[in-house]
Amino acid sequence: MIEKIEMIDIVKQFPLVRAVDHVSFSAYSGEIHSLLGENGAGKTCLMKILYGMMKPDEGQILVNGQPVSFHSPRDSIALGIGMVHQHFMLSPVMTVTENIIAGVEPRKNHIFIDMDKAVKDVQALIDRYHFSIDAKAFVQDLSVGEQQRVEILKALYRGARLLILDEPTAVLTPQEVDALFDIMRNLKASGTGIIIITHKLKETLAIADKISVLRQGKLITHRQDLGESTMDDLAEMMVGRDVELNVSSEGPVEGEVYFEVEHCSLTRNGLPVLKDVSFNIRKGEVLGIAGVEGNGQSELAEVLTGNIKADQLVMKKDGVEISGDSHSLMGQGIGHIPEDRLAMGLIVEKSISENLILGYHGRKRFCSHGVLDRKNINSFADSTIKKYGIKTPDGNQKAASLSGGNQQKIVVARVIEEEPDVLVVCQPTRGVDVGAMEFIHHQILGLRKAGKAVLLISADLDEVMNLSDRIAVMYEGKIVKTFDADKVSARELGLWMTGEGNES
Amino acid sequence: MILGLLASTLSLSIPLVLAALGGVMSVRSGVMALGLESMMLFGAFSAVVGSWFSGNAFVGLLCGILGGLVIGLAHALLSVRYKMNQVISGIGLNLLATAATTLFMQIIWNNKGSSATVASVDVTLSFLQNIPVLGEIFARQSILLPVTIAIAIVEWFVLFRTPFGLRLRFVGENPKAASSIGIPVHKMKYIGVAICGMLAGLGGAYLSIVSLDMFVRDMSASRGYIAVAIGILSRYNPVKAMLAGSLFGFCEAVQIYLQGYGVPSQLIQMIPYIVTLLVLVFGVRNIKPPAGVGAHEDD
Amino acid sequence: MNRNRLKSLVIPLFSFFLAIVVCGIIMALCGYNPFTAYSIIFSGAFGSVRNITNTLIQASPLIMTGLGYMVSKRAMLINLGIEGQLYTGAIVAALIGMTDLHLPLILHLAVTMLGGAAAGGLVGLFIGFLKVHFGANEVITTTMTNFIIINFTSYLVNYPLKADGAVAQTERMLETALMPKILPSYQLTYSIVIIALVAVAVKFFIDRTKTGFEIQCVGLNQKASAVAGIKVGGVMLSAMFISGAIGGLAGALQVMSVNRRFIAGFSADYGFSGIAVAALGNDNAIGIILSGIVFGALKNGANILNMTSRTPTEFVAVVQALVVIFVSAPLLINEILHLGAFRRKKKEGLA
Repeated sequence: MIEKIEMIDIVKQFPLVRAVDHVSFSAYSGEIHSLLGENGAGKTCLMKILYGMMKPDEGQILVNGQPVSFHSPRDSIALGIGMVHQHFMLSPVMTVTENIIAGVEPRKNHIFIDMDKAVKDVQALIDRYHFSIDAKAFVQDLSVGEQQRVEILKALYRGARLLILDEPTAVLTPQEVDALFDIMRNLKASGTGIIIITHKLKETLAIADKISVLRQGKLITHRQDLGESTMDDLAEMMVGRDVELNVSSEGPVEGEVYFEVEHCSLTRNGLPVLKDVSFNIRKGEVLGIAGVEGNGQSELAEVLTGNIKADQLVMKKDGVEISGDSHSLMGQGIGHIPEDRLAMGLIVEKSISENLILGYHGRKRFCSHGVLDRKNINSFADSTIKKYGIKTPDGNQKAASLSGGNQQKIVVARVIEEEPDVLVVCQPTRGVDVGAMEFIHHQILGLRKAGKAVLLISADLDEVMNLSDRIAVMYEGKIVKTFDADKVSARELGLWMTGEGNES
Repeated sequence: MILGLLASTLSLSIPLVLAALGGVMSVRSGVMALGLESMMLFGAFSAVVGSWFSGNAFVGLLCGILGGLVIGLAHALLSVRYKMNQVISGIGLNLLATAATTLFMQIIWNNKGSSATVASVDVTLSFLQNIPVLGEIFARQSILLPVTIAIAIVEWFVLFRTPFGLRLRFVGENPKAASSIGIPVHKMKYIGVAICGMLAGLGGAYLSIVSLDMFVRDMSASRGYIAVAIGILSRYNPVKAMLAGSLFGFCEAVQIYLQGYGVPSQLIQMIPYIVTLLVLVFGVRNIKPPAGVGAHEDD
Repeated sequence: MNRNRLKSLVIPLFSFFLAIVVCGIIMALCGYNPFTAYSIIFSGAFGSVRNITNTLIQASPLIMTGLGYMVSKRAMLINLGIEGQLYTGAIVAALIGMTDLHLPLILHLAVTMLGGAAAGGLVGLFIGFLKVHFGANEVITTTMTNFIIINFTSYLVNYPLKADGAVAQTERMLETALMPKILPSYQLTYSIVIIALVAVAVKFFIDRTKTGFEIQCVGLNQKASAVAGIKVGGVMLSAMFISGAIGGLAGALQVMSVNRRFIAGFSADYGFSGIAVAALGNDNAIGIILSGIVFGALKNGANILNMTSRTPTEFVAVVQALVVIFVSAPLLINEILHLGAFRRKKKEGLA
């Protein structure tokens, strides 16, 4: 049984960066330890080492004072360590039980899986923690919050006594976060140790017994007692300088209605994904979409930008109806910053210059009679790289060579330089560092100032609340409520996001 | 005549089904099965070599399995360890198998077109010959017919009822997740592809030393690719693969039957390929392979 | 030349070297002396002007099929159907060439080539259509269409189009449709000029044009291309049409300058050799010309080796297959190279 785990002087070197730089860290059973730091600080890397998914270049791990070495998660699991990853490690086409027992299946006759026993055991475990999930349900039919619980069950089923949670609240509503924190307190009371990786300060202060802060791979501080800690000084330790935690927007917008969406409906695989969605955006207005991931936001963005064909949709810009595929909508002034830059935004094997014109490469200034104009492309790329502060020796480098923040700047720059009338922007700062985040936020507000209409879709509720003039809440494919941004609390949004909203 | 057609459907299905069963194992573990052609061809060739040098057809059969295994392991090594594009790896091995078998055929038998005749496996289900109807269909079938059916059923149980099968499918669906709970991803894929090689090798051996007694240049004649289509059509389910395989076996049987009627052979020989094309275009829409095919656990 | 360029050359060159060595070992094990064999191949390929022209003749279809395969592969479409497209182009070219169109030489040549290219292109387009509209895996559909086309053309020259005589072939093409020779006493024809022009055109198309850029983007990241407004389906269709057209032109040029008629099963696996040629040529038009000549030399040399010592010519096919595998597995090559470097270091350490 794990009482105490120590990581001593751990180093992990990657070809270009030292992800973990002489960090020592310890965790105890029956307490919640918050590992705080911004994106790329080395938190996840450190924990993957503890979980046996990565090997450290230097350093030692002790369990109850005994040195151990992990060759694979199998070894750490055997000692009672469990990890819930930020991107869930589940197979959607399999059942809850299959996902939980894989690798440690109960057997009958030595050969076959004893599925009856497995389902019974899993259901008992579910009931013990009051999770209300059907052990026989398919994972693809569960909500994000439920999937996270399956992940926790997976670790508990294997007898985990130390649980590592990697950014567990990123995809949850405020209410689901509360429920998760209750689960964590229960586990703590039963003697389980918990390490929570996060960059959210409020949550850290709400739940943690101890805090360790990482910055650029180094341990900045370790606090046993949170009494003297405030949001501001934790933030400064995390980032290394003062941060503007809020970018404020200014009151309701009075401009004329510019972009209208009416009766947008979409069915996928026989299931309705978007149900009669209608809204409008004024000139110089940011409309934020709040919602738990998987409630139709991604599909809404893809429909409005012409990447998926809706069953029904009327779109008007400046009173004139527009329609078409992504190619023709781009020509009609709809800009799109997609949610996943690696999968949808960039061709990372191509150069930065080529990525900066991708999609607009057919424009007259880059292309005449079907032949690309390399000279113009390169000069455009050089000036854009300078303007957006993309850190690279030159535009001929592959986009793959850049950090997440600089890659995202390419996607943002490409669209903003085209000066779209309407911008559909999804998860603009997911996985970027604080500097790039501030920069991108200012770009979006710049468009707003220039009198464009912006639709902002983000899973980060703080981002939606900070940047939007109005906020529409999506739940199960519908817009269930629209608020003025300065007249609503996160808590109230959270209620509507989970379908618990109440008009009274 | 119907009984005859049925009998030849069964015997012509065997190599297709064996290869498709191999393909199912491979795809379920997350490795595309476009190398099936090479495993069959090399299996067919190895079987003849084994039979030639030992004089024993069953040693030949064993060599056929081993020949398929060798190519299977090469495919696994390239696509799992060296992360080679699985399509290219399959195609490269297909080219290699065609070239290597022709080369060795010349070296051993000094002939570009076919090998010498060797001992063939002639154990049939002759004990059934006195039963009416059934006897006509089954009595002249090879012993490999019940073996193939047994393999399909066992494979189904292994995939869907055993811990090994659950882990193999988990690797195929999400290698990262499998690795995160300590399932040895590479080992599982090696096993999946190795079994694939052995089954396809056995299918190849059937072509050369069960239904014939020699190796003929390119004798697998794209059956490996047809087996890939069978795998898709069966939704990667061994028992359904057996049924889907019989459909293609039937096409080949019709083709042979028609040859007795004076239709130009070049036209008749197009039939199985046209059917495969039609099935691929119209029969297998919305069938998705396991989500993790082609993915690596450390991307 | 920058370092990346240099690095990208290491893999193909070393792969080729490795394939030659592996094959040499096989030869040695089979009782042939690889050094003698390779020197005979080399002198057979380049030993005299006649040998060099024969090497170029061998290289011609390989360069073309390599180019054709490469264009589709840049869009991440594996066109194994070059072989079938080559047959289609060849039979259509033979038919046009047999017909007296009352055209002067230049025009009849042009029409014959265009006809072959268009026919091959349509087959490619058909495969692309199956891929785009039905999601049918092009590796399997091309393999199936190859069989269908090869059998069907064979039927045509065995029955309706058969010329008198024992061989399954068409009548001879007219003189106006045959590619003229460059030098009177050598077999080499102006095909090689056409091929060089095609290579330059392909290079320009891929590197400099809008469609070429889109083909590359679709090949590298289909989803991102679609989001960026590139019409993925259309780009795939263009890539498959061009790929098939080059394959068809390859067949047309072959009947116009070598066979002078369509003969059943005339292709010595030219379509499949193209895969190796493109791999060794680094999927780059200029590289493909060079690698086509290398494999042409190997084939030509191997024929001579076969005449002098009865060494099987299939060694060349083995080298081709190994090149395809090695070039596409850079991690394997890196490991072998590092192994060598490691050994060397160890030795130095001991000394």
